Amino acid sequence: MGRYIVRRVLFIGVVLFGVSVLTFFVSHIVPGDPVVVALGEHAREDQIRDFRHKYGLDRPVVVQYVIYMNGLFHGDLGISIRTRRPVLDDLRDFFPATAELASAAWATAFVIGIPAGVLSAVYKDRLLDHVVRIVALVGASVPIFWLGLVMLGVFYYRLRWLPGPGRLDVFLAQPHAVTRLLLVDSVIAGDWSTLANATAHLILPALALGYFSTALVARMTRSAMLEVLGQDYVRTAYAKGLTARRVVLLHALKNAMIPTLTIIGISFGSLLSGAVLTETIFAWPGLGRYATASAVSLDFPAVMGVTLLAAVIYPIVNLVVDLAYLFFDPRVRYA
Amino acid sequence: MAIRMMRMALPIVIVALVASFNQPGRAAVPRDTLVYVKDISDMISLDPAVVYEFSGVEVAQNVYDTLVQFEGEDLTTPKPRLATSWTIQDAGASWKLTFKLRPGVKFSTGRPLTAKSVVFSFDRAIALNKSPAFLFREIAGMKEGDTKALSDDTVEVTLPKSSSPQAFLSILTFTIGGIVDPDEAMAHQSGSDRGEAWLRNHSAAAGPYMVERWDPESQVVLVANPNYWGKKPALSRIIIRHIAESSNQKFLLENGDADIASNLTPEQARDAATKPNLKVQTGKSLQLVYMAMNIGQKPLDNVRVREAIRSAIDYDGIVRDLLRGTGKKIQTIIPEGLFGYNSNTPFQADPTRAKSLLSEGGVASGFSVELMVPTGPAPGGVKWSDIGAKIQSDLAKIGIKVDLREIAQAQLLAIYRAQRAQMTLILWGPDFPDPDGNVGPFTDYGANSIAFRNLYKDDRLAQLGRQAAVERDAAKRKEMYRDLTERVLHQGPYVILYQPTIPFGLQKNVTGFVWSPIGWADFSKVAK
Repeated sequence: MGRYIVRRVLFIGVVLFGVSVLTFFVSHIVPGDPVVVALGEHAREDQIRDFRHKYGLDRPVVVQYVIYMNGLFHGDLGISIRTRRPVLDDLRDFFPATAELASAAWATAFVIGIPAGVLSAVYKDRLLDHVVRIVALVGASVPIFWLGLVMLGVFYYRLRWLPGPGRLDVFLAQPHAVTRLLLVDSVIAGDWSTLANATAHLILPALALGYFSTALVARMTRSAMLEVLGQDYVRTAYAKGLTARRVVLLHALKNAMIPTLTIIGISFGSLLSGAVLTETIFAWPGLGRYATASAVSLDFPAVMGVTLLAAVIYPIVNLVVDLAYLFFDPRVRYA
Repeated sequence: MAIRMMRMALPIVIVALVASFNQPGRAAVPRDTLVYVKDISDMISLDPAVVYEFSGVEVAQNVYDTLVQFEGEDLTTPKPRLATSWTIQDAGASWKLTFKLRPGVKFSTGRPLTAKSVVFSFDRAIALNKSPAFLFREIAGMKEGDTKALSDDTVEVTLPKSSSPQAFLSILTFTIGGIVDPDEAMAHQSGSDRGEAWLRNHSAAAGPYMVERWDPESQVVLVANPNYWGKKPALSRIIIRHIAESSNQKFLLENGDADIASNLTPEQARDAATKPNLKVQTGKSLQLVYMAMNIGQKPLDNVRVREAIRSAIDYDGIVRDLLRGTGKKIQTIIPEGLFGYNSNTPFQADPTRAKSLLSEGGVASGFSVELMVPTGPAPGGVKWSDIGAKIQSDLAKIGIKVDLREIAQAQLLAIYRAQRAQMTLILWGPDFPDPDGNVGPFTDYGANSIAFRNLYKDDRLAQLGRQAAVERDAAKRKEMYRDLTERVLHQGPYVILYQPTIPFGLQKNVTGFVWSPIGWADFSKVAK
């Protein structure tokens, strides 16, 4: 088990190396000049020359890569061409907002998706099942961009039940930044009104971002549950006189969770890509928007930074999911 | 497990619901606070020696006071600010500009603003050599040491004879002319940066507002400067929120959570104008949207062909049907609002004349040409590709087949700058509010700017532009610009399409909001 984890962690290193090579060279062969973007259309040739020199863009791409990797091993992700700040500082500023949003969206997938899938399977072909299936089908089909705008239009603009874009109302002071996760920081500060406000702000973007994952989880849980509920051991459990609740929740669901967990792990990728759109619509100052702006500006160091961060997080999440299989299925062994 | 999950979720849902029915954000914006929503994603610094992006400039203009300033939409006469008077003296080989400083001015830090502060600020901008530094270094021809403190309240700036004192005064109205508190900047110096890293998101200035905080990609908060020398601003707090989506700006405005929205589309602006609590105000801009024709690409080298293209385009249709009020038809290279503006608009779609010109140019049967258009929206809110499609359709009527190539601006500029474009749809805004900010780039091949990109070499024209830049007799200068703009209008490689305007949505109770065509609004004049 320990060796398995070490192996997986080492594998993350290999993934990182591959991603760094791919991202670096692909971003450098894209036509267009980041310096022109950074300095604007009016920049003079000498300014462009100086800028190119300062950021090492006047050197051969291979040399640039070696310099970049050397910096990376020393914890230096370079300077963003667009923001002119260390990429590490930018990531530290923007990542927490995305982490908060993605966690909330993921929680939505757990909290709504799994129970919905279970109920849908238990009440197969009844009204509840049809409702869950239709809602899940819509969730798997609608574009996040459209969904976010509609949600804002209905719940903020028309009904005024929930706050508008942003992480916090503009008149509220932000809590002292400890983790930069607003919910956590407001709890640390004991600032309950900020906690309530930040939570309210999180609902719509989390639902918009999490809808797709929730739909996938619900559908997967339903189909896995249906398969499990037809198994002999479930029939045996019923024959032993166990209540339906115990059979479904303790016997069936635990076994149905394996494929669901796989989907949850995979859906993390969709959360990262979905965050780009969700953050734009909900004026969420996170990594998704930072990544988009960096890509549009051909800001290589920033694009590299975001990609490497995703390349670290994604395998870690999948490792955690793989380890979670152990809990749900004792037959699983890692060596 | 599902039940356990539901139990875990219940408190979260309750907190959220309680929060949602008890939002502080539902209250109207306080009377002493202005919430201004706009796209500020381009902001990278608020340091006056560094800032050169639209949103950063707007903030810095409200924070850093300058020696002289234009008032409102008038960009022809600089008015006194920190300098109460100034003289321009012809000193033989150079110009000497002497500024008398306003007495008793203090920075927000409480320190006095003196001639030494001006010397520090100008030398600092030159030494840091960031994006706007070329305005001092190249346009004004200044070096470190050219600004001298003659006394505590008198500053002298020496400019080479090749520079235009008028253009320099215009440059001084821009953020690079902002006066920085030397002691505060140096107290936060890191390495030899003269406080640049610290001033990125702090301020040390004498303007009506101070930077309270800047949360990148989120908001900038300004608060009134208690030591401000001028009239106390009516609004003590300005919150500039980063809301990139125009539909969200509209939501916030209509729900009363924003006082001003600045990126409304023409349709949204029209809709906002129908709401009882809102009004729409138009701001002028100095930008020009134009189509460039590279003279290095046949048959665009033929002046008749270029004139044919100019004669085939339906300018009125672009302004009326595409822009719907967010742009004005102009056809010369100096925009309305700047000295030397030439209102002549001789071109409107005339296929018969255009065909005859094509025939005279030796391409009676037409030809194929590529037109590069940027992705996204053009100034005025219409998509670049829609303008491109309109031009494509207009030119098709005279037998010119236009292949539209929609391409990200970063890539488009790289091709355009390398003289490799055939036709390019793009915009230009002057770096400083003086006609030379457009005339040099559009006419002087040696300036390595627009004329260079289109291989437009006309030495006589470039010489006339340089003379006009330094001409001190206003009537004579105006005449020179008239001749120059007329010549470019018919000979040049440009089709000037329109000068955009910006629709702002405002709460009805907001007064005093005037958009300067340079790209900022003076918040100290705004009240509600």
